[in-house]
Amino acid sequence: MGGIELTELEQDALTEVVNIGVSRAAAALRKMVGKQVLLSVPAVEIVTRERAATLLGERESDELVAVRQSFAGAFSGRAMLIFPEDNSLDLVRAVTGDELSPEEVVEMEEEALSETGNVILNGCLATMANMLKRPLTMSIPVVFRGGGSDLFNPDPEAGEDGLVLFLYINFTVLERNLRGYIAMMMDMPSLATLKDLLGQFIAEVVGEAPQ
Amino acid sequence: MVGRLPDRVFVIQVQKVFMPVNVLVVDDSKLARINAGKALTQLQPDWRRVEAASAAQALDIVAAEPIDIALIDFNMEEKDGLTLAGELRDMHPTMPIAIITANIQDEIIARARALNASFVAKPLTAEGLQGFISGASLRLKSVGK
Amino acid sequence: MTETPPDLTGLFGTTALREPGTLADLGERLNVSLAAAGAAGAWDWDIEAARLYFDPRLAALYGIDAEKAAQGLPTDTFFAAIDPSDAPRIRIAVAGMLHGAEVFLKSYRLRAADRSVRWVEAHGRCHYDLNERPVRFSGILIDVTARQRIEERLRIAQSAGGVGTFEHVPGFGTVAVSEQFCRLLGLHPAGVLPVATVNRTVNEGQPPLFDGVTNPEHGVDYAEICIRRADDGVQRWIALRGEAVRDIEGGGVRHVGVIYDITESRHTQEQLRELNETLEARVEEEIASRKEAEDALRQAQKMEAVGQLTGGIAHDFNNLLTVIIGNIDMATRRLAEDADARVGRALGNALKSSERAASLTQRLLAFSRRQPLDPKKVNLGRLVDGMNDLLTRTLGERISLRTRIAPDLWRVEVDANQLENAILNLVVNARDAMDGTGSLTVAATNERVTAPSAHSSMQIGDYVAISISDTGGGMDEATIARAFDPFFTTKEVGKGTGLGLSMVYGFVHQSGGEVEIRSTVGEGTTIRILLPRLHGSHVEGEDQVAQEAKQGRLSETILVVEDDEDVRNYAVEGLRELGYAVLEARDPAHAMDVLRHSGKAIALVLTDVIMPGMTGRELAETARVFSPGLRILYMSGYPRDVIVRDGRLEPGVDLLPKPFTYQALAAKVREMLDD
Repeated sequence: MGGIELTELEQDALTEVVNIGVSRAAAALRKMVGKQVLLSVPAVEIVTRERAATLLGERESDELVAVRQSFAGAFSGRAMLIFPEDNSLDLVRAVTGDELSPEEVVEMEEEALSETGNVILNGCLATMANMLKRPLTMSIPVVFRGGGSDLFNPDPEAGEDGLVLFLYINFTVLERNLRGYIAMMMDMPSLATLKDLLGQFIAEVVGEAPQ
Repeated sequence: MVGRLPDRVFVIQVQKVFMPVNVLVVDDSKLARINAGKALTQLQPDWRRVEAASAAQALDIVAAEPIDIALIDFNMEEKDGLTLAGELRDMHPTMPIAIITANIQDEIIARARALNASFVAKPLTAEGLQGFISGASLRLKSVGK
Repeated sequence: MTETPPDLTGLFGTTALREPGTLADLGERLNVSLAAAGAAGAWDWDIEAARLYFDPRLAALYGIDAEKAAQGLPTDTFFAAIDPSDAPRIRIAVAGMLHGAEVFLKSYRLRAADRSVRWVEAHGRCHYDLNERPVRFSGILIDVTARQRIEERLRIAQSAGGVGTFEHVPGFGTVAVSEQFCRLLGLHPAGVLPVATVNRTVNEGQPPLFDGVTNPEHGVDYAEICIRRADDGVQRWIALRGEAVRDIEGGGVRHVGVIYDITESRHTQEQLRELNETLEARVEEEIASRKEAEDALRQAQKMEAVGQLTGGIAHDFNNLLTVIIGNIDMATRRLAEDADARVGRALGNALKSSERAASLTQRLLAFSRRQPLDPKKVNLGRLVDGMNDLLTRTLGERISLRTRIAPDLWRVEVDANQLENAILNLVVNARDAMDGTGSLTVAATNERVTAPSAHSSMQIGDYVAISISDTGGGMDEATIARAFDPFFTTKEVGKGTGLGLSMVYGFVHQSGGEVEIRSTVGEGTTIRILLPRLHGSHVEGEDQVAQEAKQGRLSETILVVEDDEDVRNYAVEGLRELGYAVLEARDPAHAMDVLRHSGKAIALVLTDVIMPGMTGRELAETARVFSPGLRILYMSGYPRDVIVRDGRLEPGVDLLPKPFTYQALAAKVREMLDD
């Protein structure tokens, strides 16, 4: 994949690191909605932006809502929590505990999405940072809407090379019919760093140098 | 795992004949402030809560009225929660302060500890907050509150 | 599975008495339920204390003393029995668990203490403290060695059979699927798909593959659903089958099932249904067309049968008539000048009637297509023009005759005399149909037949059509159907023979053509004769010349060969009367004898065609061996197959049709000798 090839072990390690992050995120979501959250074992893929848009487009034809947070540190990029737009108000209702009037829900929508994304993405990114022992700074979350290809539009300032660490994660919330995805867009140097860090993680855990 | 929070409409409690405990909640997210309020109400229904949506607003409130306890979100625009906590710590060396964040990085926790602040993970629940609140109320009692 | 009796020391590091509610009791209960669940062992990893506890089964599997295992082991023991090639990834996964990952689901090889290698599946979970810190990591091992083999077989069966599997908990927004499932719907392979994604492949108006609304207890109904594949947009039919499975724990219901592509069989079914729907109409159509063909065939067979019958009768008649006419002829010629005039009149009447009988016989032969034809290249326009006077006289004053001859008519090869006969016949019929007044049109045009037709035997090709149209009463369908039958007539008794159209039919068919009747009751009838176009040379052939009786000379010797004595006598007498020297033979063998030993120069052999021992033709061939220039004249009323090929005389063969008159005999013999 575009110069970044993970070994099988690195792939395992990445999946595991992500798994920890996602578990953390799912636990956070569980607390927020007070309902069972079904979490699929994450599948991690490094794909091009276009591929990521296709993967997402294949699954979600409608407009999407994404909460995006930039992260910077040893590796930098942008993380997104993505879910179908028609789930948006449901999610808000879920995290506000069904106590708000419909008007309040609409009024709170943007804010609630932002906070939910913040909790989930922070949980995920922070755990990865802890696992890889490299601190990350995270920006304030931003909510935006659009189709699959809009979400993966390159950030002109960041100058990313168009690779996406795409995690198929289904946050499936029973009785709410909510689902979501997490994607992280990183440039090539960041992915190279990530690969290195995964190697160190493996060495530490397995007790030998990565192949 | 937390059970359902009580389905009660939140009301700011202004009560207790003897000097009520004033809690400052600083978070730029209204949802987070509501959650903090719920958790607090569950643990200490008599405490009075004051809310601020930014660090600047929080400093104004602290200057204007007595605040006993501060719950501060880390991830805020302009000035982050750790910076605000540092400033409050300078003004009130013994005030119980908790940094509330989903950013559970070891580094953040370490920085909070360095300021003699507690660390509570988001999303905030009564259980998660209980340790800090118990400790804080003990400390307040010890100083005569 | 390692079978170990329940251990009273408890499961996880306690030796307390087994009293109800104690940890030991809990441990044992767990032990029992784990065994029931098929677990090969269980572990509990105390993260803070960094100690690892195995239950007795797992301890046995690892070859560790159960007491020790219950008291705690170094955590690294966990990896001790794991196959080295699997160990690194399991270490990574465990590291994940120790740092907060929720789910641990791994399969790997375990090298058991008994040296066997087993495939195991580890299901683990982390337990957290209030601060979300993992404190314990526990789980069970399941021996999946046998299952792995079964799964492998199942996987192959599924991919070979094109079967995709799914598992859906009603109410959840996602469904667990197999790769084949994704492929069937044209989706990127994934283990879990949103229900909405799956349902979106379903065509409009079709039920969704997964219906979240209906009662989950109801189960999964068999369904055939039309989908459009997500990747290539191709429309396919998918069958869905499944069952509602009740989980042991939790009491929830899962819908487990399969989908598979049934497009081909649906397609076949649809074709079959369409076929059934149109079957009736197509059968009717087929029956109608077959009936038409059968009618045409039946008509042809009828004509053929009648033809054979009449042909046979005519042959015998001809012989009889030859004798009758010959003898009347002779009697007349020998009648004394002073004889009773009434005798002469009687003989004359007898001759006239015999000639009429002969002409009838001729027509029967014509119909049966057994008359020998003498086709020549003919200019039909000129032939019709030449008949003008005859036709005008035949029609009478009150019927107008019009002839329309197309310019540039193609040539045909036909027996001109017979064609004239046929036209005359049709004109007479037309006249009679018009009751004396009206108009008659004889037309000749070029016709091109481009498509075969069920109700006629007409070949594709070019034809010249001669049509005779009248303004008479016309014919109904039943009459048309029988018009060609011999002896069928609509005329009053005694007015017609019923052989006119039959003769035309026979002649035209023998000439490779076709006759058509078009008629509307009250408006008139058109009969068309179609004759095949003669391709090639435009050089006009000789029109036939009328024959005249010619006398013979005694210097010319003629050998008559005929097995019928009466006919032979008639011919011999006739020829002698004409002045020829005549020898006779009663059969071919006798004839050969005469030819060889008579010592006379024989100018002509007049021979019957069908005789015992040898046909006339064989006789001719044998005779020509002795005298190559020998002229042969056949006399026959039934020359089929013997001297005629394809209904036509072979070149260089002459024929005197039976019955023949004295005049005809004289003319033919003279013609041959003078040639």
